[in-house]
Amino acid sequence: MGEKQEGFKSKELRRGAKRLLQRDLELTRVREELEQKIKELEAAKEREMVLRIREIAKATDIKRKVEELEKKTKELKDARRALLNILEDVDEARKKAEEERNKTLAIIANLTDGLLVFDSDNRISLVNSRAEEILGVRFEEIEGESISGLGRLPLLRPIAQLVKEKGRVFREEVKLHENLILEVTTTLITREKEKIGSLLVLHDITREKRIERMKTEFVSVAAHQLRTPLSAIKWSLGMILAEDMGPLTEEQKAFLQKTYNSNERMINLVNDLLDVARIEEGRYIYKPVFCDLTKICQAVINSHKAIINRKKIKFEFKKPKEKLPQIKLDEEKISLAIQNLLENAIRYTPPGGKVVVSLKRKKREIEFSVKDTGIGIPKEQQSRLFTKFFRGTNAVRMETEGTGLGLFIAKNIIESHRGRIWVESEENKGSVFHFSLPIGLTSSYRK
Amino acid sequence: MAKKVLIVEDEEILLGLLQKRLKREGYDVLLARNGEEGLKMMRKGSPDLVLLDIVMPKMNGFQVMEEMNKDNQLKKIPVIIISNSGQPVEIDKAQRLGARDWLIKTEFDPEEVLKKVDKQIGK
Repeated sequence: MGEKQEGFKSKELRRGAKRLLQRDLELTRVREELEQKIKELEAAKEREMVLRIREIAKATDIKRKVEELEKKTKELKDARRALLNILEDVDEARKKAEEERNKTLAIIANLTDGLLVFDSDNRISLVNSRAEEILGVRFEEIEGESISGLGRLPLLRPIAQLVKEKGRVFREEVKLHENLILEVTTTLITREKEKIGSLLVLHDITREKRIERMKTEFVSVAAHQLRTPLSAIKWSLGMILAEDMGPLTEEQKAFLQKTYNSNERMINLVNDLLDVARIEEGRYIYKPVFCDLTKICQAVINSHKAIINRKKIKFEFKKPKEKLPQIKLDEEKISLAIQNLLENAIRYTPPGGKVVVSLKRKKREIEFSVKDTGIGIPKEQQSRLFTKFFRGTNAVRMETEGTGLGLFIAKNIIESHRGRIWVESEENKGSVFHFSLPIGLTSSYRK
Repeated sequence: MAKKVLIVEDEEILLGLLQKRLKREGYDVLLARNGEEGLKMMRKGSPDLVLLDIVMPKMNGFQVMEEMNKDNQLKKIPVIIISNSGQPVEIDKAQRLGARDWLIKTEFDPEEVLKKVDKQIGK
């Protein structure tokens, strides 16, 4: 083999080395590829793992959530059932309320009294059929109007006027025409102290008024008819007593005098009844003129001096320190009121007792009072003292005579003069009757 | 000559009593039982004074006074009203029609009537 062989061999080697190198390179590349793949696979696996883990986590969460949801659904179902129950109840309550409302509306509609309801802005929000009938309007015509706006309707004018004058709450008689007299009452409607409107109630009192007038007229006529024969008796007895018909024995005189006195009592009773009838007819106070109350008092006292002395009662008149201003009075009626109070004091005070009349100025008023040491008035009866025909039980025991009209008349006289009358009294100790009259009032008096 | 008083009053007993009392005092007394009769008596008997009731049949006291006011002669005769009710409205009206005085039946005795008559046409 020589050189040639030698050459061949190294050629071969070189070729082999080259191949080896190539393979090595190849292997490295493959290895790298594989490693890369493994890396990729590992990354993929890792991702998959994470996903799985996530999925597993999700699944657990969902389960929990499902459980929660199921629980909630159950709760909801329960709630729904409960709600349905409530709804049923509410529905029933609503039905009931509606029924109640209809019933109330029916009651209002069928009330025999007229009813007008105003809302908190004083606008008409309801009128029942009786009110429509009385006033001759339909609710639709006046819905939402204010009371002053209603003055345009002739029948509502006096009522609107009243509301304007008297404010929101009052009770008054209103004569709309000859055959329709109403008692109009207004009241506030409040809920938890909050004003939510007002009511105007129209109560028809035409019939009551007619009966009352008939009664008063009857009393008036009867009393007038009684006066004529009573006058005849009085005059006859008076003349016989004056011995105009010939001389009388002492006994005859005494009896006739008693008869005369009884007749006087009868006349007084009839006069009282007539006064009451006139008070009720509303034509009692007549033409007030400026008077001196001290003088009037003195005159009434003077005419009772004799009886005061006869009963041995101590008497005192405490005159005012200053001269009182004159005030507008119906002198005759005020005298009568003073007389009624003074006579009571004298009558119900036992002999040896004391009666004090006093007159004084108190700011814008003149106050009269008569104080006695008489039988007094039981506490529980004092509130009825000024009512018609009332007499205290102890007064009746002491004096069977008496009509129970004197204080009623006195009260009416004083109140007609815009005054006040009141009493302080204690049984078995005595009474003080007071009245006060305003000074300087020239406005119209109640007739 | 005695003064003449005409009493116009429908209540017989009061009429009788007044007549008796006035006669005893020396007055001449004429009687009438209603307004119409009263006016007739005034014209016929020319009294010096009239005692006049208000509520009477035929013609009441106010109507009588209205008639008197239309007559120049009768207008001069003083009138005293004898009222039953004594209501201020009534008295006021009588005074406006010219009544000189008035009295309320239940409050006066014939004695007091006499005083009022004396005061008007005293002897």
